[in-house]
This record gives sequence, C-alpha cells and structure tokens, in this order.
Amino acid sequence: MAELKFLGYLAEVVGARTKNVVLDKPTSLRKILPASFPEENVIILIDKKVGSFDSLIENGNSIIIMPVLSGG
Amino acid sequence: MKGYAGKILRVDLSNGRSSAEEIPDGMKRDFLGGRGFAAKLLWDEVKHVDPLSEKNKIIFSTGPLTGQSLPSSGKMVIASKSPLTGGYGDGNIGTMAAVYLRKAGYDVMVAEGKSEKPCYLLIEDEKVKIMDGSELWGKNTFEAQDLLERKHGRNSGILLIGPAGENQIRFSVVMSQKGRAGGRPGLGAVMGSKNLKALVIKGTGSIPNFDDEKLKEIGKKGYEEIKGKESYDFWVRQGTMQVLDWCNENTCLPALNFREGIFEYSKQLDGYVLEKTKIDRKGCPLCNMQCGNIVNDSSNRPSELDYENVGMLGPNIGMRSLPEVALLNRMADEWGLDTISLGSTIGFLMEASEKKLIPEKIGWGDFERAQKLIIDIGKDEGLGKLVSRGVRTASETLGKGSHRWAMHVKGLEISAYNCHACPGMALSFGTSPIGGSHKDAWVISWEISTDRLSYSKEKVEKLIEFQRIRGGFFECATVCRLPWVEVSFGLHWYPEYLEAVTGSRMNWEDFYKIGDRVYNLIRAYWKREIPQFGRGWDYPPDRWFEEPLSQGKMEGVKLDRQRFDQMLSWYYELRGWDQNGIPTKATLDHLGLREASKEMIG
Repeated sequence: MAELKFLGYLAEVVGARTKNVVLDKPTSLRKILPASFPEENVIILIDKKVGSFDSLIENGNSIIIMPVLSGG
Repeated sequence: MKGYAGKILRVDLSNGRSSAEEIPDGMKRDFLGGRGFAAKLLWDEVKHVDPLSEKNKIIFSTGPLTGQSLPSSGKMVIASKSPLTGGYGDGNIGTMAAVYLRKAGYDVMVAEGKSEKPCYLLIEDEKVKIMDGSELWGKNTFEAQDLLERKHGRNSGILLIGPAGENQIRFSVVMSQKGRAGGRPGLGAVMGSKNLKALVIKGTGSIPNFDDEKLKEIGKKGYEEIKGKESYDFWVRQGTMQVLDWCNENTCLPALNFREGIFEYSKQLDGYVLEKTKIDRKGCPLCNMQCGNIVNDSSNRPSELDYENVGMLGPNIGMRSLPEVALLNRMADEWGLDTISLGSTIGFLMEASEKKLIPEKIGWGDFERAQKLIIDIGKDEGLGKLVSRGVRTASETLGKGSHRWAMHVKGLEISAYNCHACPGMALSFGTSPIGGSHKDAWVISWEISTDRLSYSKEKVEKLIEFQRIRGGFFECATVCRLPWVEVSFGLHWYPEYLEAVTGSRMNWEDFYKIGDRVYNLIRAYWKREIPQFGRGWDYPPDRWFEEPLSQGKMEGVKLDRQRFDQMLSWYYELRGWDQNGIPTKATLDHLGLREASKEMIG
C-alpha cells in the first residue's frame, strides 16, 4: 500500500487529505491521480525526496503532494 | 510622468509647518515608489541620528500602482531609521490610508520633528492640520480607531499606534483598521517618540493615468483571473493559515523558540480549525483575495489571524488552543505590538525560565503568564523590561550564552519559519534588508521542491531573483505580492499595469535593476549608520548551526556553517559586494548611486 497525503487546495481536488492505494506494480504518480489534477506549482515528495508526476510509485511509498505557498 | 500624484507632503511636528514638494521625474524613474522612495529619502535626509530623536523621520510611501483598480493594490510602505535594529527599517501595510493619501494628492508623506504634546495629523486634500491628541493618548488601537472614525467619519484612512508605540517599545508597529499592522522594526515607537498618535487621511481627488480605459480593462481581467484560479476557493477559506499544516509537514514550523520544526499540537491550531471557528474575513482595500480571517478569541472578542501571528504566538511559545492564541493576538493588536517579535520575545523568556537563567517560572504554553507578559512588555515594566528592546538586547543583558538562541538577524526577530533544514531560507533571513524577515524572499517553497539540503549557487541565484521581485518590484510599485505567490497570478500583468498607469513601457529587467538599486542603497545605509556593519550581520542565530532537530522527518539535521558561509560569499559576488558584504564602488556607480558611492568610498 502507498500512502498519499494532499495539502492545501490539492486535498479538495482529490476529495481527501489522505489516500491509500494498493498497487500491483510500480505505477506513475500521474496515473494514480485524477486527470484534472493540477501539474503546475505543485511540490511532490516521495519518501522525503523530490519526485515528479512521472515518478514510479510502489507499495510502501509515502507521498506528500502540496502547493507552492508564500507564507504571508 | 502620469500615474503619480507627484508630491511629497512634509509635516514638521516641531513647528507645525507643512509643505508639498514635487517629486523629480528622475526619482520616479530610478526608484519607482514605495520602498524605493523611502530608501532614497532616508539616505538623503536621515543621517547618524538617534532613531527615537526628533531628527529621525517617518515616511509613509506609496507607489504608482497603489490604489489603482487592479488586484491587491491597497498597500503602503512605512519606513524609518529603526529603533530596534539601528539600520534601515520598513514594512508594508494594507490600509485605506494608502488609497486616501493618493486621492489627497500625495505619493509620500514625511513626518519629522516632534510635537510638544500628543497630537494626530488630519490631512484633507491640501489642508493639513496638527490636532490635539490628548484624548487619544493611552487608548488602545481599537478604541482610538473608533474614536477617530466617530470624529472624522468612516470614509477616512487611519494609521495609528497603541500604548506600546507611545511607550516607545522597540517592536511596536503602526496599525490600521483594527488588525492591520506594518512597520515591524519599531516604527510605532518612532511615531510615539514624536508624540504622534495617528494620521487621519481624507482625499477626494483622483490621479490621472496614462490610459484609464486600458487600466480598467486589464485590471478587471486580473481580478477575474485570480477568481478563476483552482486554489482560489481554498485560499478564501484558509488564507495564509494553510501554511501551518504545510510547515509542520515540512519540519519548518517554529516550535518552542525555534528549537524544533514540528509541533505535537499543530492540528489544534491549523487552517482547518480556523475554518470551523471563523466568523468573518477582512483585509486590504481593492483586494479580492483578502487574507484576514476573523475568529472569536477565548474571551469572545474578534481577532484577525494569519499564519505569522499564529505561528509565533502558537507553537513557538507552546500554545495549544487557537482561541487562546487569538486572544494573545488581539492583545498584541490592541497594544500595537508586532506579533512576530512578541512571539519571539515570549519564547525567549520561556526558554530562559526553563534553563533557570531567570528566577520567574514561565512554562511553555503558559497562557496566563503570556497575557501578563504582553502587558509588561507594552508598559516596559517588570520582566517585560528585559525583552522590550527585542531579543538581541535581551540576550546581551542576560548573557549566559543566551545569544545562541536569541532568534534574530540584525536585531529583528525572525519570522515563523524554522531553518535548521532550509539553508536557502536561512540565507534569505540573513540577507533580508531589514533583518530577520521572510517577506523579501520566501525561497523555502522552491527550496523544498528542489534539493532541500543543498548549499548550491543555484539556490543563491533563486534567492536573489525572489528578492528582486518581492523586495524590489512589489515593495516599490507598492502592491501586494500574494496574488502572484499564493494563487499563481501572472507576473506578466505588472508591466502592462505600469504602462497603462505611467505611459512608460518597462520590462522585468528594468524592474530588477530598480530592485538592485534600492537594495544597494539600503545596504549602504546600514553601513553608513553602523560603521561596524558587515559580514557578521548576515548570519542567522547559532541555534540553527549548533543544535540539530530532535523530532520529525528532519531529525538530526542542522545547518552547516562552512557551507552556509560559501553561499553567503556567492551571494556577495552575485550582488557585486565585497566579501564583507559592502557594495563596491563599481556596483554603486553602475546603478547610478554616485552620491552613495562618493560618501561611502570617496
């Protein structure tokens, strides 16, 4: 099982702040996410390392997907 | 040049005289407005003076985009020689006063001298009066705002200080509209030192732009673009408060005086809690993405929250309840104290107590003691006296190694991002032109999206790019940066807006050059005012280099001093400064700062 965590408005896009997915084989992150998922100004961390929408995800991965923010 | 009122209003509080003078076209071209005008005026006119003496000046400065019908333009820069840091100090504020100052026919207002008695300024177009302020003196910023609105009507822009400013507390701010604050480096104290409680500004005129029709059209398109952004609805609900969760996930939340980057109770303070308790939203004029979220505090009074004040008065001092944080924030706003510095000073005292360096017992998250400390700081009494000049001075007084965890740069308390594991952001704090502020280059988000723990030249280049855009362009054009950084509003709009306003076509290269000019002049100002100023002033506190994080995903991480030093050297090279961080003659001359070059180098 891979755990995906969504921060900020990206949680609204997928309708959940966390999502667990069971994968048969390594799958690109893009395929796991809805087609409408924004691809700009998004930060992806896979097991604390920077990833991309093309990164292959497999069971056991912990993924955080968050917007680029400014902090006031 | 179109789009400017073209005048500086000067009021000498010592003799009651006021005058309006023309702003030369060259000054508009070279410095654009806002921070640029303020830096130029301070360089020319405020030299080697005590910041709390009548010789200091306080500058209220707008830019050509201020008050225009375009996104988030209701901004003003307030600047002075800082009584907290001793160097250049400024801050921006969203207020109707910015809009009305321009309508009254001025781009800039300069208050100088000192009134014998408490006073306030009433500016009604060309009429300027110094009014008796005795009735206002001692009132908190909410009471004083109400009183002035009753007297002069709600269609006026009001800037004012609270009792902390009157008492010349070094991190008191200028407030407006019950919750808006600006001028972190003690600019409230500068007003207090002049016996100036408030400015009331009413304006009925308008400033002719080069092409009003075009501006109306592209301004409207800008508002529409913002509203159509996918992140807009969420932004409207949480505003900057969404950053709390973001920082906790990324181990960069300020927890327990920046000791840690996560906080066990962050879920009790975050944007989702805010959403449930929110009663209203407010913010700056001419903004369609207002970020002031109002909640009822624990005593049922409204309090305007954003990330910075919750970060610093929440996890940084161990508070676990959002309504209680809201109450501390409300008190800070009433007293007119900067919430960032306040959170840092209270955190400093809590740590000093924990380490038994002071006899008083103040535990982390001690709500009762935190309230008492705010009053003591505002009055400069009791334990408040130790920290009312900021944590730098407090650590000098206390000694015992406390300077290692006095969380400031250049005397200004660091805002709400822990940088144990963010070297680029640490350098951003180190090189901010006012001290430990995030507003010039919030490079942390980019840093986390790339190679977070690297100390690369690319990181330094990105930092300078952000400083040019945020600290240069946005502060000088004097519009809010948040549409760009928070909902990805296109930067391409701004040259178009400026062209419609001024008639002059400028591109981002031009804006970068203006930003560089302003940064170099500010840097020269620090050196002129503080002869010992140099490289040593650009380092964040020892804590981030010496005490690794003990919790969270970045456990064990701290900054590497040698590699940070390398980044700082690259920063100086890229800026055209010597290795002591001082602009070279060639750099100053290249930017047309010949007077500064002559004065600094000869």
